[in-house]
Amino acid sequence: MTAKLNRPQSIKLYKDMVTIRAFEEEVRKMFSAGLAPGLVHLYSGQEAVGVGTCATLDKDDYIASHHRGHGHCIAKGSDITRLFAEIIGRRPGYSLGRGGSMHIHDPETGNLGTNGIVGGSVPLATGAALSAKLRGTGQVAISFFGDGVLNQGILFESLNMAALWSLPVVFVCENNGYGEFTEIDDVTAGRPYTKRGAAFDIPADKYDGMDVLVVYDAVSKAVERARKGKGPSFLIFDTYRYSGHSVGDKQEYKDEKERQLWEARDPIQKMAKLMVKMKLATKNDLKKMDEEINSTVVAAAKVAKKMPVPGADDLARHVYAP
Amino acid sequence: MTNSLNIEQNLAILDRMLLIRRFEEMLIDLDQDHDFGHYHLYIGEEATGATVVESLIPTDLLLTTWRNHGHLLARGTNPGRMVAEILGRVDGYNKGRGGTLHLTDREAGFLSTSGLVGGAVGLAAGAGFALKQAGEGNICVVFFGDGSLEEGVVFEAMNLASLWSLPVLFMCENNNSGAISAQEGGFPSSEIAASQISDIPKSLNINSKLVDGADVAAVHTVVTEAVSNIRSGNGPVFVEAYSERWPGSRPLWPEQATGVTQVASAWDESLLTGEHKEWIIEFDPLIRFIRNQLAEGLFSKDELFDRDRKIQTQITEARAFGEASALPDPQSALDGVFAA
Amino acid sequence: MPPDSSANIQSDRNITLKAAVLEAMFEEMKCDENVVLIGEDVGAAGGVFKQTEGLFETFGADRVIDTPISESAIFGLSVGAAMAGSRPIVEVMFGDFLTLVMDQLVNQAAKVHYMSAGGFNVPLVLRTGIGIGGSLGPQHSQSLHSWLAHIPGLKVVMPSSAADAKGLFKAAVRDNNPVIFMEDRMTYNLKEHVPTGEKIIPLASAAVKRKGVEVTIFAISRAVHTALAAAEILLEEKNISTEVVDLRTLAPLDVETIVSSVRKTGRAIVLDGGYKSFGITGEIAATIGELVFDYLDAPVMRLAAPDIPVPYSPSLESLMVPSVDQVVAKVSTMFGDSV
Repeated sequence: MTAKLNRPQSIKLYKDMVTIRAFEEEVRKMFSAGLAPGLVHLYSGQEAVGVGTCATLDKDDYIASHHRGHGHCIAKGSDITRLFAEIIGRRPGYSLGRGGSMHIHDPETGNLGTNGIVGGSVPLATGAALSAKLRGTGQVAISFFGDGVLNQGILFESLNMAALWSLPVVFVCENNGYGEFTEIDDVTAGRPYTKRGAAFDIPADKYDGMDVLVVYDAVSKAVERARKGKGPSFLIFDTYRYSGHSVGDKQEYKDEKERQLWEARDPIQKMAKLMVKMKLATKNDLKKMDEEINSTVVAAAKVAKKMPVPGADDLARHVYAP
Repeated sequence: MTNSLNIEQNLAILDRMLLIRRFEEMLIDLDQDHDFGHYHLYIGEEATGATVVESLIPTDLLLTTWRNHGHLLARGTNPGRMVAEILGRVDGYNKGRGGTLHLTDREAGFLSTSGLVGGAVGLAAGAGFALKQAGEGNICVVFFGDGSLEEGVVFEAMNLASLWSLPVLFMCENNNSGAISAQEGGFPSSEIAASQISDIPKSLNINSKLVDGADVAAVHTVVTEAVSNIRSGNGPVFVEAYSERWPGSRPLWPEQATGVTQVASAWDESLLTGEHKEWIIEFDPLIRFIRNQLAEGLFSKDELFDRDRKIQTQITEARAFGEASALPDPQSALDGVFAA
Repeated sequence: MPPDSSANIQSDRNITLKAAVLEAMFEEMKCDENVVLIGEDVGAAGGVFKQTEGLFETFGADRVIDTPISESAIFGLSVGAAMAGSRPIVEVMFGDFLTLVMDQLVNQAAKVHYMSAGGFNVPLVLRTGIGIGGSLGPQHSQSLHSWLAHIPGLKVVMPSSAADAKGLFKAAVRDNNPVIFMEDRMTYNLKEHVPTGEKIIPLASAAVKRKGVEVTIFAISRAVHTALAAAEILLEEKNISTEVVDLRTLAPLDVETIVSSVRKTGRAIVLDGGYKSFGITGEIAATIGELVFDYLDAPVMRLAAPDIPVPYSPSLESLMVPSVDQVVAKVSTMFGDSV
């Protein structure tokens, strides 16, 4: 994509990544201030994967996300004020404040939800793809999941069915190197991990997940293939989470050098440099964008903080659908 | 494949195969009289079970599935007590509580027979873990069908076995008749998108072999090498032993589709009639083995008849033993819900 | 309360429970093209109990989908498909295999509607066979309905007869929630008159299957037949007038019908094919105790499967199912008889 990259596209990708980074910074502050009552898992560092992926999709395409899902929601177009509201348990949140960070669903943007179960997104996206295929809508579904899911049986069962039935689903593995506090390579047999998809005759490859354009290109091809009825793809993006598993994790299991190496590959900085080099924006333009986004995000957080908590009469709503 | 087995070994395998065949044939008849519920026969796969045990030692552990009779008999389990269990009688290995689906013989090294697809495979990884911890060089063999590869737990268990180099032989008996069964309206047993079943264990870095499960010599060569590798601490091996599904196993309930086996049909095809005679000529592992071994001069026809007769007598006695055994006392129903 | 299903008897419409559910599937698949059937061997093979026979030929491989043996993912993807606009009927061959589905059922399906604040529905039916009989042993004989009824967001339906099964199944397919439809295999071949056409039986509605004034037997699924047989004997031999209430749906529970029957009879016994401890019998006994204790002339009694893995041997297996004799004896003690 680099060669053909135009200004509006590049600005959209850049802004989405910066928004996510700023959003997560606010979430961290909210958590530290005791406003976010539960567990929050930050996406900072992995922005290129979510943004590059969602940029290839139409609004009615599906995504199914995981516990580190704020970035996916933002990239797919959810409202950041309502996201903040949900994370701090306020009534205008996507689940009336009853779900929190790990249970954000947004039907408007085709978001089947962030998820609290490791591997939860995988069959859901596969099923949404099955439904899209049966209904002949041309929609595709993305399953975002972490490297920990590489060892879940349900991934393997879902890959098999997606391949058997040529479902329009793209399996997007975000390999940030750690499942909670454990290095993924210590608990996973078989190299390379793409073989897990290839075993079912699914096109499978590994990419740099710190480069939003690489992600965009890889997912575009997979989405196009899915839309043409040619079946699933299995993509692994190597990436890195700057923060701990959840906020509060001191990351004593990580090496300082390792962190510096990854930070040197920061997806936002990388994109910024490229845009300047390709004369798509000046340093000053970017700085202005950063400031605007920051103030928008901070303002949204401020609004969310003033939002009411759910009432007792919200407790028992939606247990069953009408 | 050249037969690297000695005379005693070949005769032992012959006896095991005959014993399994006659036992399973007897069960079809037994079910007519007793209607003991759903069951599964090992006919057509005898060469695999009868040969795998040749490479094991008495302290190795085994786990199997609902198609288990052949594995148990091959390992020396008493056929009379097996009949008793299948009839739900007190002299059965599980005192009549398990039946065919849960028939296990601890003395023979069997940990479990699972009634659930892939159910034994997770347990096998655990048995392998314990054996590795014990460090006495024992291994664990788990038999399972091709359908098990569709279950996530099998993938999870193989991942752990590979990761921790556990001493486990994953013995996949692929009896999927695939296209043939589908055309005849039978039950599709396997829906796997992989071109080769072994691509799945290979993706987990497990050493994987493919072998004709109806060829005794080939099974022996592959399994002996696998077992020796596993025993020396090199981690698990996956063996896919394929066979052409016995036509009697295609319907939901076993049927005597090929008639009672006549060993003489190994040299006299005129004895064969019926729509499935091609299966016997081409795929029946027992008939194939007899044919080869007669040619090699392992035994004479008379010796073969003699062995078969003795085994048939043994089976008749086993049946009588099982049928004579009493039903468990209702008072015993509460025993053993919890361990002491 | 829905009318008694034995009305309008026409002998040519006497069909089995299995056939009635199959008929419901045909009708629902015909009237809504988003209804799809997903499961192991449900397609060309027609189901291991021939319970889906003919659907594949009628609706084709796109709507009658044979799956690999991957219960967890089959169910998980049905949840995703339901969220995206399909209305799957998922078959899990044996109720025992619900254990393989539990994560997707409890952690995903049951919570989606609530957690999305009504944004997504999960309109699906999980159909499964349960019950003791035929020496299937401990991994193929369990009745785990109480586990599921414990989870908010799931509906649990257990028909006892053919007409109910059809009407309830149609309601289940049209419901916008995950509904677990459990049939006892021992009732598969029970025949009765099943009316033609649209007869929907609402979920959460119990049915009085026999009217009486001195004691109520609450039962579900196959146990309803035990209750009815016992009621007949109680009348003939002990002159006790017994009411039999078929709960039909465990979740949501028709509390109104339960309490109004107890108000009338003053005695209650609960009968279930699942385990006794921590099961549905305890739930109903407690509900009666909380709401209509003052109407009771005797403690609420329970009869259920003893807390033992289901053994294979017929001599032991039969002990696992509450018998007509046991019910008669237990009810008699509520009237002062010593056993």
